[in-house]
Amino acid sequence: MAEPQVDVKWSMVVDIDKCTGCQACVVACQSENNVPISTQELYDQRRQMTWIRVERYWEGDFPDVKARYIPIMCQHCDTAPCEPVCPVFATYHNNEGLNVQVYNRCVGTRYCANNCPYQVRFFNFWEPVWPDSLKNQLNPDVTVRSRGIMEKCSFCVQRLRRSERDAAQNGDDRPADDAFDPSHGAFAPACVRACPTDALVFGDANNPNSRVASLAHSDRRYHLLEHLGTEPNVIYLKKIDPEAGDGNHE
Amino acid sequence: MGLTRRQFLKMAGVSGAGAVVFAGCNIPDEELWVQSPVNLPEDLVTGVDNWYATVCRQCASAEGLLVRVMEGRAKKIQGNPDYPTNAGKHSARCEAQLQELYHPDRIAQPMARDGDGFLPVGPGADPYADSLEWLVNTLDSLKGRASRVALITPPLRGHLGQVVSRFASDYGLRYLTLETLGEGVLRQAVKDVFNADRLPHFDIANAAFVLNFGSDFLSTWVSPVSLARAYGKFRNVEGHERGTFVHVGPRFSMTAANADRWMPVRPGTEGVLALGLAKIIIEHGWADPQAVQAVTGGRGGAALEAFDIDRVVRETGMGDYFGVDEHGVSKAIPKIERLAEDFATHGPALAIGGGETAAQTNGLQNMRAILTLNYLVGSVGQKGGVLLNPDSAVPSVPASAGGASFNQWRAFTDALRSGDIDLVIVRGADPVHSLANLDFGGALARASSVVTFGNFWNETALRSTIVLPEHTSLEEWGDDVPEPGPGHQTLGFQQPVVRPVLNTRSFGDVLIQSAERLGVAQGPSGLTMQELVRSGAEELFRQNRGLIIGATDAEEYLKAALSRGVWSDPNTKGPQAGSAPEFDREIPSPQQDGNGRFFLVPYLSNALGGGEGAHLPWLQAAPDPITTVVWKSWVELNEKTADELELRIGDVVRVEGPSGAIELPVYFHPALPPDVVAIPVGQGHKENGRYARDRGANVMSILGWSTETTTGSSAWAASRVNLVKTGEHVTMSRNEGTTGIIREPHPGEIIGVTTHAQM
Repeated sequence: MAEPQVDVKWSMVVDIDKCTGCQACVVACQSENNVPISTQELYDQRRQMTWIRVERYWEGDFPDVKARYIPIMCQHCDTAPCEPVCPVFATYHNNEGLNVQVYNRCVGTRYCANNCPYQVRFFNFWEPVWPDSLKNQLNPDVTVRSRGIMEKCSFCVQRLRRSERDAAQNGDDRPADDAFDPSHGAFAPACVRACPTDALVFGDANNPNSRVASLAHSDRRYHLLEHLGTEPNVIYLKKIDPEAGDGNHE
Repeated sequence: MGLTRRQFLKMAGVSGAGAVVFAGCNIPDEELWVQSPVNLPEDLVTGVDNWYATVCRQCASAEGLLVRVMEGRAKKIQGNPDYPTNAGKHSARCEAQLQELYHPDRIAQPMARDGDGFLPVGPGADPYADSLEWLVNTLDSLKGRASRVALITPPLRGHLGQVVSRFASDYGLRYLTLETLGEGVLRQAVKDVFNADRLPHFDIANAAFVLNFGSDFLSTWVSPVSLARAYGKFRNVEGHERGTFVHVGPRFSMTAANADRWMPVRPGTEGVLALGLAKIIIEHGWADPQAVQAVTGGRGGAALEAFDIDRVVRETGMGDYFGVDEHGVSKAIPKIERLAEDFATHGPALAIGGGETAAQTNGLQNMRAILTLNYLVGSVGQKGGVLLNPDSAVPSVPASAGGASFNQWRAFTDALRSGDIDLVIVRGADPVHSLANLDFGGALARASSVVTFGNFWNETALRSTIVLPEHTSLEEWGDDVPEPGPGHQTLGFQQPVVRPVLNTRSFGDVLIQSAERLGVAQGPSGLTMQELVRSGAEELFRQNRGLIIGATDAEEYLKAALSRGVWSDPNTKGPQAGSAPEFDREIPSPQQDGNGRFFLVPYLSNALGGGEGAHLPWLQAAPDPITTVVWKSWVELNEKTADELELRIGDVVRVEGPSGAIELPVYFHPALPPDVVAIPVGQGHKENGRYARDRGANVMSILGWSTETTTGSSAWAASRVNLVKTGEHVTMSRNEGTTGIIREPHPGEIIGVTTHAQM
């Protein structure tokens, strides 16, 4: 179905030359989005919940070894493989570039997770459990997902909506321009807000003045598993390694 | 006007096939934003959030934070954009304070020993007041024998540091500060080389070349969020030449993983390499002649004749690690020569070091050589180099704090064993865990009474007579001068962002009240921590400069300070560094404890630190940046060495060190030198709450007692160990291989790499 013309396209740029692998984004996401605690048992079952994770790849042999870090979250693909396979339209693409997961429609077929090449969708095999006292920390803006529901990165949509509402209350059409600043933006996702090196940048790719739009035109841009043609709204910037030079890299 | 959610549900019900409705018409998007309650139906009202500024106390770097509070509950932590060190950024450890505040295993009330266990203090109406009464009476009875009383805390800055130091000196007790894998040698080297008492500002953001020896500055060293933020700017390619970063050290740490080049060396030989680099730089004329005069005492390259490249290659082990070319020449030689040239000719260049480089018997000489390189390339006092930090703007507030030396801890442990100590008060530290190689727990058993101020049953609390829960950092008043500072005067304000969740007190207030009741208070009495924070703001109001100006009175000024969370004055600068010191003419060989096959490099866990974060589930579940292991500890071993020993990942080995042995599963580390093993600190708690209990092993228990020869600080990276197979095998819980999108990716398919630093 055709989406109406919109003037916002939320995108994230991930500069892997700046990612140090520190995990600040991972914990910030869990705190903001009420992600269940990934216990040791869940890790051992390969069922840990990490809407954003930092993968580490080795290259070379001692002593010429490199470790490469890359944060991976839902890529919010424009042609998302997860969307057409959902029988109940629990996952769909909105006209702001977001791949949206509607929890109260999800019936838990897990077709979307099977079809996602990035493995960024997580299924609640069990009812999420927190000790009562830890529930004090849960974010009231974010639904706690129940057993049988698929969940994933939402680009912290609750922050987008809150800042839009705040802008509306102030009589503005949209959040103020300075809100697009990755450090100060009211609607920047929790991972972006935490990232100490500014490896993550978020904003409206349709706004030519936004930093994300500027970075998205970098010569270093690429998409994860680009050959699949999923047209992600997450754009990666290549690692710069002057030492690489072995013909394996572009 | 779009459909409401209720109208939509009605339609879906009538049609009998909701999906058809979706396909047949375009539902307004706001109807599909059901993740966010802000646009949910009219019967749902969203809460109002408040953001309070405060200071992080999860680790010594003390970042400025903003805490989101709704209906009296702290919900989210983010960096304070106004705070000059972390500038809006924060770490996983900052964030996890929320779980400390609401931890299900927080000690809820004062507890007193009862046989082998503990019972709530009672049955009085106010157990906390009764407990403090007991403490004051005990202190009063020991007033004439104050040297038999000891107080242990982590290094403390700000007004709390002042209160604790004053209490210690007014009462006359022994005061020791505990820093796990401490940086005492770094502090002494900074004093020797720059004549500074505070750690300097290493201006990584504006450097073009960073040469780092050993310090894990992106993960745990000194002030990692601030340094990582600077690193992000250093790597920027927007209107800026991307900086080049070389890491030297025996362990391939998270920081090493982010370097452009990693140069493995044997532990304790970093100083030899630094002086070898200096010799090459001087001989090639790459350094300013005046600087050469100063650092060589006028002798030029001849002053460093002992450090020829053959010696450097041999002693650092680089000759063994890199091998030889087809002509039999060490491949390490061109790498060292290139490093010297790059460092000297790509300014501003910065040489920093610490961690395992300093924690050697010759650590001070290593560190002096490394820091003096900055004089050689003209980086001291310059943008992109080493900038000294000014003193505190509020004179009464300590701006620097380091840990007691290992020799001081040994002497204190001996005093405990000899029965010379009657009362030990511990706050915010776990010496039984951190000083396990000294068997501090065994020694502590000789004290008549042990009082712990803390919120969890760590190893020290379990050996206490009485345990008094205290406010967490989100519940109490305080202030802090960040160390290292940003190069100008800064004071951070800490305020309670929520009401205390449990029956707890502020440790600072307890000490102030105790001093008054004991009649030993020599400073201003009657003040609470809140009032001390206010007094700091009043002093800044009188100075009328910096970030907050224009307030009409002190009360208005205090409100502005608390709402910003920080005061700073970018117009202030630190003092000029002293004249360049001369390079040491010789560096003694490092000495190791034990005669095991492997050098042992322990290191602070990225998430758990020295164990301070082990009770927090977010931190336990955060994968280690190198191994990706979670909820465990492990021993890292070169994969070829592991093959030789016929070990698989997850095989359990006994690690036999100078002070004992622990059992850990093996992780294959492709970038660890074959004669080095590395183990993270932080696990190995018998209790410490449900999330830390019985996980991994405590590597501190096997370290030797070697010290750096001048400072007496622990040479914690100078132990040798053996590995013995146990025949057991465990699952290595880790991220690696469990969610990787492609197990063996083609080049560029996941990690794009380019050799060119285009925009």
